[in-house]
Amino acid sequence: MLTLLRDLTKLRRSLGLPPAGRPGSLALRHVDCGSCNGCEHELTLVSGPTVDLARFGIGIVASPRHADVLLVTGPVTTRMHGPLLRAYAAMPEPRRVVALGDCALGCDVLGSEAELVGPVEDVLPVDLRIPGCPPTPQQIAEALRLLLDARRPLPSRSW
Amino acid sequence: MIAVRPGEVYREAVSAALADGWSFAGLHATRGAVRTLLSRPNGEVRLESVDAATSSVPTIVDLAPAAGWDEREAHDLHGVGFAGHEPLRPLADHDVELLRFATPVHGVDPYQVAVGPIHAGVIESGHFRFHVVGDLILHVDARLFYKHRGLERAAEGLRLAGGLPVIARACAGCWVTNAVAYAQACEEALGLEQTTELARVRTILLELERVWNALNDIGAVCAGVGLAAGTSRFAALVDDARSLNARLTGHRFLFGSVAVGGSPLELPEAAILDARETLARIRAESSRAWHALLFNASFMNRMPDVGIVDAEAARTLGVVGPAARAAGVPEDLRTSSPRLAYDGFEPATLRRPVGDVQARLEQRALELLPTLDILDALLERPVAPTSADQGSSAKEVGVGRVESPRGATSCIVERDGDRIGRVRLRTGSYANWPAVAHAAAGNLLPDFPLINKSFELCYACVDR
Repeated sequence: MLTLLRDLTKLRRSLGLPPAGRPGSLALRHVDCGSCNGCEHELTLVSGPTVDLARFGIGIVASPRHADVLLVTGPVTTRMHGPLLRAYAAMPEPRRVVALGDCALGCDVLGSEAELVGPVEDVLPVDLRIPGCPPTPQQIAEALRLLLDARRPLPSRSW
Repeated sequence: MIAVRPGEVYREAVSAALADGWSFAGLHATRGAVRTLLSRPNGEVRLESVDAATSSVPTIVDLAPAAGWDEREAHDLHGVGFAGHEPLRPLADHDVELLRFATPVHGVDPYQVAVGPIHAGVIESGHFRFHVVGDLILHVDARLFYKHRGLERAAEGLRLAGGLPVIARACAGCWVTNAVAYAQACEEALGLEQTTELARVRTILLELERVWNALNDIGAVCAGVGLAAGTSRFAALVDDARSLNARLTGHRFLFGSVAVGGSPLELPEAAILDARETLARIRAESSRAWHALLFNASFMNRMPDVGIVDAEAARTLGVVGPAARAAGVPEDLRTSSPRLAYDGFEPATLRRPVGDVQARLEQRALELLPTLDILDALLERPVAPTSADQGSSAKEVGVGRVESPRGATSCIVERDGDRIGRVRLRTGSYANWPAVAHAAAGNLLPDFPLINKSFELCYACVDR
């Protein structure tokens, strides 16, 4: 069996085909900045049995210290502004920010201006926007896979 | 016009009403007044208003402890003082010192564990300050409103019909409930009357919302103890139920399916057949999944005697919904909703309604069956767009009340002509948060996720 797999890998390389699997992984830290809980409900299903994003090495982690990506939902309320900045500051570099859902993008029904500082791009540099109200688990999964594919190699050290 | 009473007369009126079988159902500050909503088991409601033009009004929190959060919110967001509510701790106002919002706890070796607002997973934002000795929780201060978006303020000045998407946006989990409660309040204010067809359509939507919520809430308890098999199985069923919602209404959370003064929803014969087939499959599969849980001893043994809210505490704290019914308080607005199609509805009752985590979990599972029965009966023929009748006389203030998946939700709309003067949404989650803190006291800190999940309250529709 192992020999067969090794032969297949050699064949793929000799024919110049791209690697079968996606390289790398993404550790996501979710921060809710005032969503209606719709994005959270759908994001939960992204880890569920029908989409199962863990197959691609993409998963939710319990601390910003372990995260590559900050996944932000909601229109960024004044009361979540500080916690959001602190979570971002706690992340190792390189780091990416994803704005998930229409509220995070500053679209549609948001609330009173006095209670909001958002959208997310006014607060943090956003690398990926996932529109939808809320985006479906499939849409979230597709977008995150794009982020994984588009991930550039780390800059090499030149000293 | 609603009579606005002077302070002492208001307090006496509320006191007399509570002694006479009325229950507290909400309190809000409005232009120059504070209003208390009272309800009776037969569905009757009334408002007692007190003049708030002067600096403060008398508290009613000693008469109705359930008014605690309402008065704190009215103070923080509308600047009303409540004489006699001591200490009046900040709720929505976060710009305060720790000592002002956290309860002082003294004794041998107590310390605090601060959790949130950001949590270790896909969870809404909120802060819990646990006062513990070792693993034992003495007290929890829950600080919410991190997600406060000012939706009620944003709706003021909008036309009544245009306010619906703003108010319903409070929460995706209870979108239909919030939308129907708001629509009913507007229709009452405008003097519109429900038709039986409008009642049928709205009841179908409300019960579709209850289906995926019940499945979600059972799965949440599995997640609370880390039982992956149960979590996955119920997550798949939640996805099925939301996919059905999308096929029926174009939206997985049924957004846009409710309107003021009528219903835009169209379900042709094919959609009805799809709904009936899918719901029959969900009934069979959820029943199998539930039985697998019931016979999983290591799972079920985690539940009894954890996080108890008994009947007396439930009544005192004003607990609503499955959490109240699991404690032996068989109150369900579906028994008294003439504007909806719940004729002859009786709340499901447990054999062991002791108000612990097990009872709340079993109550959810038990209530899924009548919900599926109601849908089966109402999905007997296609649904076409329909409108309310022009009926009774218009009013200054309208009240809508709907049983959400988490309990009684009230919406009060005070109108300025055809525009919103003030709107207040008080959801089942809002009523139940104080009970989560009550349930946690005396339990172990590692059991808090389980206790919390057994209520599965929304933060979004509390914070608004």
